[in-house]
Amino acid sequence: MKLALNFVQVALLLLTAPLLRGIVAKLKARIQRRKGSPVWRPYAEIWKLLRKEQLLPRDASGIFQLGPIVAFVTTLLAAAFVPVFQNTALFGGAGDIFIFVYLFALGRFFVSLTALDPGSSFGGMGASREALVAALSEAPLLLALTALAILAKTSSIAEITAWTVGQNFFDVSAVHALALAAVAIVAVAETGRLPVDNPTTHLELTMIHEAMVLECSGPSLAFIEWSQALKLNIVAALIMALFLPWGIATRLTPAALALGLAWFVSKIGFMALLLAFVESSVAKLRMYAVPNFLQVASALAILAVIFTAVMKR
Amino acid sequence: MSMTEDPRVMIQFGFLLCLTGLLVAPLISATMRRSTSARRADAAFIIGSLLIGAAVGAAVLWHGEAADLDLSRLAPFALALKVDRLSAFFFFLICTVSAPVTLFSIPYAQQHYSEGRATWFWVLLPLFVLSMVVVVTAATGFAFLFGWELMTLLSAALILLEGDSDDRRHNAFIYLLMMHVGAAAVAACFFLFLGQASNLTFEAMRSAGASLTANVRVWVFVTAMFGFGMKSGIVPLHLWLPRAHPIAPTPVSALMSGVMLKTAVYGLVRITFDLLGGPAGWTGYVVLLVGAVTAVLGILYALGEHDLKRLLAYSSVENIGLIYVALGAAMLFAATGLPTLAALAVIAALLHALNHAFFKSLLFLGAGAIHHSTHTLDIENLGGLQRRIPVVGVSCLIGCCAIAGLPVFNGFVGEWLMFKSLLAGGELHAIGGLPVLPLMIGVVGLVSGLSAACFVNVYGISFLGRPRTPQAHHADHTPRAMQVALVFLASGCVLLGIWPGLVLRPLLSLVAIIIPGAGTPSELQLISHVLPVLAGSMVALLLASLALPRVKRLTDTWACGLPELSPRMEYTASSFSKPIRSVFAFVYRSDRKIEVTPAEEPYFPQAMSYRSARTTSFEKSFYRPLVDTVIAAAQQLRRLQTGNVQVYLLYIFLTLVCLLFLLRFSR
Repeated sequence: MKLALNFVQVALLLLTAPLLRGIVAKLKARIQRRKGSPVWRPYAEIWKLLRKEQLLPRDASGIFQLGPIVAFVTTLLAAAFVPVFQNTALFGGAGDIFIFVYLFALGRFFVSLTALDPGSSFGGMGASREALVAALSEAPLLLALTALAILAKTSSIAEITAWTVGQNFFDVSAVHALALAAVAIVAVAETGRLPVDNPTTHLELTMIHEAMVLECSGPSLAFIEWSQALKLNIVAALIMALFLPWGIATRLTPAALALGLAWFVSKIGFMALLLAFVESSVAKLRMYAVPNFLQVASALAILAVIFTAVMKR
Repeated sequence: MSMTEDPRVMIQFGFLLCLTGLLVAPLISATMRRSTSARRADAAFIIGSLLIGAAVGAAVLWHGEAADLDLSRLAPFALALKVDRLSAFFFFLICTVSAPVTLFSIPYAQQHYSEGRATWFWVLLPLFVLSMVVVVTAATGFAFLFGWELMTLLSAALILLEGDSDDRRHNAFIYLLMMHVGAAAVAACFFLFLGQASNLTFEAMRSAGASLTANVRVWVFVTAMFGFGMKSGIVPLHLWLPRAHPIAPTPVSALMSGVMLKTAVYGLVRITFDLLGGPAGWTGYVVLLVGAVTAVLGILYALGEHDLKRLLAYSSVENIGLIYVALGAAMLFAATGLPTLAALAVIAALLHALNHAFFKSLLFLGAGAIHHSTHTLDIENLGGLQRRIPVVGVSCLIGCCAIAGLPVFNGFVGEWLMFKSLLAGGELHAIGGLPVLPLMIGVVGLVSGLSAACFVNVYGISFLGRPRTPQAHHADHTPRAMQVALVFLASGCVLLGIWPGLVLRPLLSLVAIIIPGAGTPSELQLISHVLPVLAGSMVALLLASLALPRVKRLTDTWACGLPELSPRMEYTASSFSKPIRSVFAFVYRSDRKIEVTPAEEPYFPQAMSYRSARTTSFEKSFYRPLVDTVIAAAQQLRRLQTGNVQVYLLYIFLTLVCLLFLLRFSR
């Protein structure tokens, strides 16, 4: 039962990922007084790309085809670490924050190699910028998660969630507030959203992630797009599980599960709205302002860790 | 012979066999016929001895039966060797990594050396390995220092074997100079025990260790830190690494970086945990801080390089930094009475040492294979090698993943254990006020993010894309022996990444000896169980996704409508690392010069030249003044040397008077 539910959670994250993307796009369009494309369009796109032929640059090696798949697989595995509507996860007690972060790093490593493989300067540009953003966002993410792990006395994501659920909602500590701010900034960078990167840009010179996957087509692009959408879903679920887990099902009764699911849907809907609002109201940062933005996250995360010592429970 | 005695006898016999083999091999290569097949036989002999050594190391690590050898009667000083578990671990590391390196050396020596030099190479190489074995198995201070000195001299000889030029001599001189200053500190460290110990056998030093006064302990630590730090290349004592590694023969670079640096880690662990009987808390902070600075600066310097061997040398600095961070954490835990956590951190440090030995020698050998195929080591001149030398490419990809600390490769396991032990340091507020150890997670995270960037750069620029030069375009086939050596090391990286339990269990019994009272950290069990599952599901999902049917068509890379892209339009290693270098510009402080001619018309130049040179700030602001002071002092001392016999007689007389005074008043 529990195992089946954990698989359902992973499947839910995987299958609703394009939908979340569609919803965010739709909300953005509405905020900008446009009609926007239907929320189901990302599904149609992935389906179309999966069946299209794949163009292979003549100079590319096997890495070019392997990279997108590695990105997809590592993201899918990361999905198994996060509790969604009930407070366990497939990797459960072993689902450690450090493995989680490094799975993303593995995916990013291979996407960067995919970008460099065809020998186009756009790919190099994207990979080089991604390297900068990734290098500077890993430390704040790890530190923010560390702060939570110290409080909960465990580094497993599911167990941190279980611990947090037991706490009082109004008793949210300063550590949580600081860590949430840090994780939110890193999440923006990690999922390639504004103001760090613009997922809908059409100008190569400003791209980060889109420049990396410029040469990808057909199934490769489908895997990349899907994993990127899944990443957004995972990061949203992670933020909810770590910082706002209240409402998550702690018992396996149908009623509790249904309530947990309802909470999940409403919370993620709220986050989609927030994301759409932020993306509509801020401009993309200059490339060399991004490090400053991430340094704010580092400072917040460092403070979060220091506060764990100060407000030892 | 009873069954219970059997493993002990076998271990003892194997140990002797390995040592004899390494000692006899040079004699064989010096005397035998100089034919290719004879060389191969000689190399096979060395590899055989090393494999026996690796088996002995593994057996001692597993069983705990010590092997020993006392040659004090044959030598003018106490020369005794003993393989206990700690020694066995490093002995195993040396032998396992040296074996593929030796295999790699066969085609390397054939290509690079004339007959006479090849003979020298095959004489010096096994002796160099033997000297490292002596260092880690020494049971007396003298044996240790003997091996330590031999190790320096033999590696310097191997560096000079590669060629001769002023520049090379200068760099080799710096190497020798720094190593000897370090050796002096190590010797001083041993002699400090003599106040309490009757002699310099490790056993006597161990029993004296606890009774040393606090003052002496401080000095023991300081000299050990300085001496071993010099060898392992902690910042700012790392100056020799990026100078010596690029000029050494590639197999020797692999040994120096992958293995020789680890002897210093061994020394530090032996002194602080074993001989001193446990570290003091403040030493933990020192090691932690030094490690953090070393790791960050090491990887930043590596990012600024595009000479493959220099880059790898700087990355060794970084990895040594990480090992020191874990050791520092271990010292803090040990000093605050948390032996189980101390054990976890020591295991992290030792495991990372083993992992680094694997992936760093793999990457150095990979660099050697690239050089064999393209005759260049400058990343900017490479490109497209994955399609031309695929075996080297895949091995190097594994090495790059491992060194970047990515999961299911061995580098990750060490870093994960490091993270877990630093996280556990959240319980330590009582002593620090600040949660120093958990904050270190940020440092390790930054370092591993930067090293991922660095090695995307290395692999992506040299193996992917289009070849940037004709040499890279016409890359030669790599000899079979080189490929086998690379594949062996790469499979080691994968194996240890998926089944870390293979070494974690013996490591646990190892630390139980040097850290009394250590329990079993639950993390070891966890990671040994998670990784196989993770790797299995990853492979299954990868295969499933790869099985998806695809229609493929070959095209050209998109060129924005231009007829074709030239390789000069590709991103280079320098342009790749530029964003990171500009964020961390305060570390590099490069000297840039842009000259525009004619100068009076800057907007309509006829010619422009751009030059950018980087010297590390340590050279400018630390070493240069130091060297100048030493030379100035030496100039002053020259005045003593008048060349006049009467003056020298006066010196002798004055010395005699002084000594007599000393004797009179010291009573």
